[in-house]
Order: sequence, then C-alpha cells, then structure tokens
Amino acid sequence: MSRSGRLAGGRTWLARHVLSLAAIATAGVLGVMLYLPVGVVFVDAVVDDGVPTLAAFHEVLTDPFYFGVLADVFADPLAIGSHLGALLGWLGAVSISLSIEYPIPGVGLGVPWLRIDAPGVRTGLFGFTAYQAALSTIASVALGLPAAYVLANFEFRGRRTLRSLTILPFVLPGIMVAVGFYAMFGRTGTLNSLVGPAGVGPFPFIEWNPLAIVIVAHAFYNAPLVARVTVAAWESVDVRTVDTARSLGASERRAFLDVVVPQLRPAVLTGALLTFIFTFMTFPIVLALGGLQLATVEVWIYDRVQRLAYTEAATLAVLETILSLGLTYAYLRYESAQSGLARAASPPPKEPLFPTVRTALTPRRLAIVGYGVVALIVFVGPMASLVIGSITDGSGLTLRHFSFLLERQLEGESFQTKPLPAIRNSLLFGVGTLAIAVPMGVVISVLTARAGRAGTIVDTLAMVPLAVSGIVFGIGLLQGLVFGISLPGGWRLQVTGAVAIVAAHAVAAYPFVTRNVSPLLANLDPAMVESARALGASRYRALLDVELPLVASGIVAGAAFAFAISIGEFSSTVILASGTDSYTMPVAVERYLGRRSGPAIAMGTVLLVVTAASFVVVDRVGGRFER
Amino acid sequence: MKRRTVIGSVGAGAVASLGGCLTRDDEDEERPGNDTADGDPEPDDPDLEGTLRVATYESMVDGENPAGPWLKEQFEAEFPDAELEWTVPESGINHYIQRERQEADLDADLYLGINVDDLARIDDSLSAGGLFRELNADRIDRSDRIRDGLDVGDPHGRVLAYDTGYISLVYDETVVDEPGTFDDLIDPEYADALLAQNAQTSDPGQAFLLWTIDAYGADGYLDYWRDLADNGVRILDDWSESYYGAYMQEERPMVVSYSTDQVFAADEGYDMSRHQVAFLDDQGYANPETMGIFERASKVDLAYEFLDFVLSNDAQAEIAQRNVQFPAVEDEFVDLDEAFDQYAHEPPEAVTLGYDRLRGNLDGWVDDWAREFASQ
Repeated sequence: MSRSGRLAGGRTWLARHVLSLAAIATAGVLGVMLYLPVGVVFVDAVVDDGVPTLAAFHEVLTDPFYFGVLADVFADPLAIGSHLGALLGWLGAVSISLSIEYPIPGVGLGVPWLRIDAPGVRTGLFGFTAYQAALSTIASVALGLPAAYVLANFEFRGRRTLRSLTILPFVLPGIMVAVGFYAMFGRTGTLNSLVGPAGVGPFPFIEWNPLAIVIVAHAFYNAPLVARVTVAAWESVDVRTVDTARSLGASERRAFLDVVVPQLRPAVLTGALLTFIFTFMTFPIVLALGGLQLATVEVWIYDRVQRLAYTEAATLAVLETILSLGLTYAYLRYESAQSGLARAASPPPKEPLFPTVRTALTPRRLAIVGYGVVALIVFVGPMASLVIGSITDGSGLTLRHFSFLLERQLEGESFQTKPLPAIRNSLLFGVGTLAIAVPMGVVISVLTARAGRAGTIVDTLAMVPLAVSGIVFGIGLLQGLVFGISLPGGWRLQVTGAVAIVAAHAVAAYPFVTRNVSPLLANLDPAMVESARALGASRYRALLDVELPLVASGIVAGAAFAFAISIGEFSSTVILASGTDSYTMPVAVERYLGRRSGPAIAMGTVLLVVTAASFVVVDRVGGRFER
Repeated sequence: MKRRTVIGSVGAGAVASLGGCLTRDDEDEERPGNDTADGDPEPDDPDLEGTLRVATYESMVDGENPAGPWLKEQFEAEFPDAELEWTVPESGINHYIQRERQEADLDADLYLGINVDDLARIDDSLSAGGLFRELNADRIDRSDRIRDGLDVGDPHGRVLAYDTGYISLVYDETVVDEPGTFDDLIDPEYADALLAQNAQTSDPGQAFLLWTIDAYGADGYLDYWRDLADNGVRILDDWSESYYGAYMQEERPMVVSYSTDQVFAADEGYDMSRHQVAFLDDQGYANPETMGIFERASKVDLAYEFLDFVLSNDAQAEIAQRNVQFPAVEDEFVDLDEAFDQYAHEPPEAVTLGYDRLRGNLDGWVDDWAREFASQ
C-alpha cells in the first residue's frame, strides 16, 4: 500500500472509530476523576475495619433526626399494622376549618382561608431538605419560564446579550449571593430605600420568612438555568408543525398547547430536575440567609467531615446520591418515552417586544413589563448591590478596594493570591473545560439516545457528578488523587495541578451538555441518520453533518453552562489548586475574605464583569453554529 | 476565618506537579521515634540552614496587611541561611490529621494557628499526644514571657500561644442598651436582637457555645439555648455571613463577634455607635492561637528558632497589630500603637475551656446543640 493510501486508510479507520475512541476517553476521564475519588469515600460507608457492614446505614435510617416518622418504618418495616395505626391516628386528628387570615403584615385586609389543622409530622432532615428543594424548584420554574418565553418569542435590542447573561448568577460564590441579598432585601437594603419614599417600611423582608428568602435565593441561582434550557428547546421548535396545526383549524392557544408545549416539556422538566438536585444539595445559602433552622443534609455532611466522622458523612452522601439518581432515572425513563416527530429546526419568528407605544399597553405586554420588574428585583438587584458595595465604604464612594487588588497584583508576594493570574486561570480552565466537556457530553448523548433501557441506565450513571455531594467529591479527590493511591512497588498515583482541575471541571460540566442535547437528539427522526448511513456516511460523519446541526441550540446552551460551571466551580478547584498558582476567581474571592469584606467584594465584582464579558463571547461564537 | 464557605474540610498542601503523575514514595522522610520523655535535647551545633515549611491559615498570609510576609522577611534576615515557606492547607489541621492517618508526606515542619479544640481532635482521631512533638521549653528562651491564662492545658506540652482573641458581643447602642449578663439576653428587651453563628461551621460560633457551657454547665447549656431560641436568637452560618450580611445591613442590633471589632470599624470609617463591645458577666471567651512543631518535621532546629522568634518583641507587636489580636506575652515585652490600645478592648476576665474539659466532649456538645436547632 502506498503511503498516501495508508494515510487515507488510517483516516477512514479513525473516522469509523472516532466515536468509540471518544467513548473510551470519556470513560477514562470519568473513571479517574469521578468514580475513583467518589468510590474511595463511599467505601467508608460500607466497610468498617475491612469488614463490609450496613450498620452505618441502619443507624442513619432509624434516626428520627434524619428521617422523622419514617425512621420507625425503617427500624421495623414489617410492623405494618402499627405503622398503619399511626397513620390512621394522624388522619383522625386532622381538622379543617374556615378562618379569616391577614396575609400582609400591617395591612388589615382579611382573606377567607381554609385552614387545615394537622398534627405536626416529623419529617427529619431528609424530609425538610426535600421540602425546601421542591419549593425552590417551583419558584425557579415560575421565575424561569417567563424569561424563556420572552427570550424565545420576542425581538428587542440587546436580546442576544441578555440571553448570554442569563446564566451570570450561576457563577457567584455563596458569600457574594448572601451579601448581595442582604444588601438588596435587608432592613436598610436597596428595596427598602426604594419603597421608603412611599411612606412604608422599612420591612424586615429576610426576618419575616427566612425560608421564603432562601427559596428566592435558590431561584436566583436556578431560574436562569430553567430559562436557558427552555430557550434552547423553544428555539428548536419547528414552526411548520405549528403552522400545520393552525391550517387544520386549531386556535393559536390550542396549537400552542398541543404542538409547542409537548416539545418544550422535556426541557422544562430537565431544568426542574437539575434545580431539584442542586437545591437538595444546597449548603452555603441555607445557612447564610436562613440560619441553622433551615439546615439541610449537606450541612450535616459538611459537619461530619469537619469532625472526621467519614463513615457517617459517606452514609449520608450515599443516601443523598441514591435519592438524586433515583429521581434522575425516573425522569430519563419519561424523557426516552417522549419520542418526537422528524423535524428540522426551523425556529418560530420573533415578534418585536414593543412595536408601537399603543401595543405596549396590551395585557400580554403589561405582564411582560411586570415580570421585568420582578426580574430586576430578584436578579439584577442583588448583583447591582454587590457592585455598589465594591465602590463604597462606611464613609461613601471609594476606590480603595480596587486599589487593594492593583497593589496586590503589583507588589504581592509569591505565596499570595493575585487578581490577574486568577482571571487568566479562570478563563483558561473555562476554555479547557469547554473543549473536554462538550465532546464528552455529546458522546454520552449519542450513545444513550438509541440504546433503550440500557441507555437510560448509562445516562443515569452519567449524571453522578451532579448527584454526589460536592463536599464528598472534595474529600475523594483529596484522599484519592492529591494524597495519592499506593500502588505495588512503592509507586503512588497522584493527579493534581492544572490538568486535574480542568478534568474535574469537565466532569462537573458535561452532564449539562448531555441534558441540553439529549432531549433534542431523542426527538430527531432516526430515519435521517439511517439514510445518511445508507448513502455511505460513517456514523461519525452522520453525527457531524446531520445530527449536530439540528441540535446546535442545545449544544450552545450546554457549552455556555460548561463554561459557567468551570468559572463558578469552587470545591474541587480549591483542593487541586492549593499550594499551586492554579487558583481561580472564586478561590481568590474566598482568600481575600477576612475581617474586612472590601477586597473580597471587589474581587467578586471583577468576577462578575469578566464572566459577563466572556458569556457574551461564548454565546456569540457559539451562535455561529446555530442556524 | 479558617473556614471556607463551601468546603473548608478538604484541601491540599503544596503539590506543584502538573497533571497525573506517578511518584516514588519518599522513603527518606525522617520519622523519628521521639519516645524520649524530655522532648528534644538542645544540640551543640544546631542546623539552621535550608527551608522551613510553615503551615498556617489564610488570613495570616493573604487578605489585607497580613503578618505573614513580615514574619518571612524578618526571619530570613535573622537567619540568612534559612528560607521560610508558607503553606496554607484548605482544611487546616484536618489536613495533617488525614495525612498522618494515610502516612502521606506532611510537607510542613510547623503549624501556626492551632487552637485547643484542634488538640482535642488530634488526640481523639490519632493517638493521645499525636502529630506534634512535645516541646523542650528550655530551647525556647522567650517561652516564659507568655502571659498566665494562655496555657491551653495540653498534658503533652506540644504548643505555645502566640496571640489571643476574645469573643464578645458587638451591639448598636442606638437600638439596645449594653447587655450585662447572659441572663439579659433572654430578657424580652433583647427579643429578636441577637445574631450568633453556627457552632458546627464557625470558630466564633463554637467559642460562644463553649462560653455558655462555661457559664451554665454541660447540663444546663441546652436549656439556656432553648430560652435564647424562644427569645428569637438567629444562628447564621459563619462570622462573615452574619457580620457582613446581616449585621452590617442592620438586620439586628447585636452580633457575636470579637472584642477587637472597633479597630476595623475605626479603619473603615464606620459609625462607632454601631460598634460597641459588650462583655457578658464581665468576661470574654479567650481563643488563644498556638504553634507547634510536627513530630515528623525535618527542620527541627530551625523550627525551635522560629517559635522563639515569634515570641520576640517586634514579632509580637506586628502579629498583634496586623492580625488584630492580642499579644501572647506580658505587656513589658511588647510595644503596641496607641490606636490599637484605644480600640482593642480586653475583657476584665478571660474564660476558656481547657484541653481536659474539651477532650472527648466537644463533638457531643456541638452535635446536641445543633440537633436542637436544625430543621425540626
């Protein structure tokens, strides 16, 4: 064979096997950066002194503190009679009455209220965690969907930029969100100074109902996620299907409900699922805004780790993971059951948001304006308050917090944290994460798209990075990769430094790519790929030329998330970067936090500005691949 | 401020390698038996060359105007053949406990910033008297300058105090009167007024909890906290969140904080009436910070010199003023700026629970307390 022939043969071989090679590489990264560290910790839960045991699980499951009334059931699952008796006793004590409530404090406006009096049910830590996660999910979807509706259906100046910036809240460290929220909603916060001139307040918004504020903070983080995922799906809705329905006589509303909604549902549920998992594992926000009364399972895992009680920490983490993965599996079964029609992306046309002054007064437009006000308060308010905090101190406007950053950059010692390397590292790791996470996510989507139930299981396992406690993942990385694992012959496997950070970020990020791409991919008609293959295209070519262009909006949305995850990632970065120059912007924020908040808030502002600029770039570059 | 918001419990030391790598286990690492009861004998010819690796917490080396860079410069000036290398493990002392358990390299010779609960935890999870060497006080000439009351009571003599802070209340005198006693805090006058921190995750939060245990005993502290809860105490995550978030936005007029609060308030130009310091029962809870040399240290002679250096007049003044903590030595051995004396308040009486009371009890106390409050 001639040299060029061999080369061409090699290329054909590569083209034929590139998917398998990518799958093997993906499995390798996951094995080393995910399953190994997580496995190291999870073994603690089931092995005691080298002997496998379920004692730790028994102890946690039967502890009413963790599981409330369910603990009795776990303790003695076969005593069905007594459990039923307890349930009947509880039902018998429930009473319903009608009363007049005054929902707005200080306002004498009575509302008739159907009051259900039920004796308290002890839900335990897991029950409460699930409860607040469910409320947070509802709030996030309620706040995210209108944004998706506006961004996907209307044209206005700055729409693309706004769409790019929707995931900005995602990258903010917990302390920044807490400070921003107090500055926005606190007794002397921005909101009170806005309503003050009207002669009311100041209202203690946070003290009134800490749970409500925590839920709003969770929506601050997660509503943008719901919006982003939904916009991607909305923009790939085939407008011709709507036209067909309309031509067959369906009203606009009917066509929306019967044609558009089914195509959006998987994306909305994806957003809701991710939100539930995130808020189930929430940690800094609940304690910072809500206090210890609102502690979640993750708070206890953190505490157990602090006290070096790894067995209990691992046990709680395993239970948390089982719950998240169970939910994910249920959702993925649903998602794969939703097989769509063959369609090419032909997005609906966008109408101008405010075509004329007169149409601005239609109910629909007024509702959008109303939503805009809410979005300003919930999303823009806390971030703007942060920025204001960075240029003020006790005595007014100042630039000294930023001059600290400048001084540190110019005169800092080698062991101190400087702003520019933090910015550079964040951007480099972000780009590196994109380069790894997007192919990983797409490969997993492709592999699972047509594999039926086995695919659902693989897909569920691929979601493990989201379902595992960040704290536990952190200890796993430390014990497994940083300290190293002893190998025979006195060798030690260690994985640290910049490459490890990028790999860890990619592991955390690829599920977002998968979850953005899979629903779209599953909706494609398999016949399109099959005809391409029949005409001689390799599986890889078919993917590249047929499937990817049709799911481009999902890939771009996933890529934006991958970048955001990398920028905002904290727990594994801090472990893998410790002692090296590989620190990132959020790590710098934490390191500058001392008895003075100024430098940290200034760094937080830098984080916001740099990230906002790069989101716009990521979206613009990504937009070229969309139709 | 040793804790990270998200994940202070895990971390890494100075591992500068890139990417995955295989290394040989370092078999040369010194692992002396150190069974000698009289600690380290004074050598005739101390080895004062090479790199001394000092582990500490973040605010010692980073943040605004920390003491770390000064200490490095001065120490290297005094010992020209030596270099000081700072290392900041994310999880503080837990990092070394984990390394010790896994027999991984320690990568540090001494630790600046151990407190008494750390000692209790070391002994609970390793063996009694573990991780750090028993110090030979004769080798540290300035060790007898340390004030009475800063001895943490370690039966194994592993650590020396280098500074101390006092937990106290900070309040807004335009909203509430100065609280005088713990019992005042459960008075209706102080309803919904106090911000405290989660003792599970926060140093001052835990110190305040231990202070109430000192005041009401291990049998009575939970009752007192139930009364506090009925009076509307709010327990936030950490000092940063409770102070920058809630207190500075005037959510509440009282916060558990440090008696040096006015030093920062004066610097930042804050209204002093919002930064009044109150000592309950004329006490403050002392949190002495101590230093010790690792059992597996390789630069033992240099480490002893460092301990002595930290107790010198200049170093004590710099650490106190830059970290805004009180010096560990008697007044005659340290000169502080007038501004520091004016704004840093020392309680009439310092209380603290020593090693003996904490050992074996601390985790249980904190756990019982936290379960009392959490999501029920």
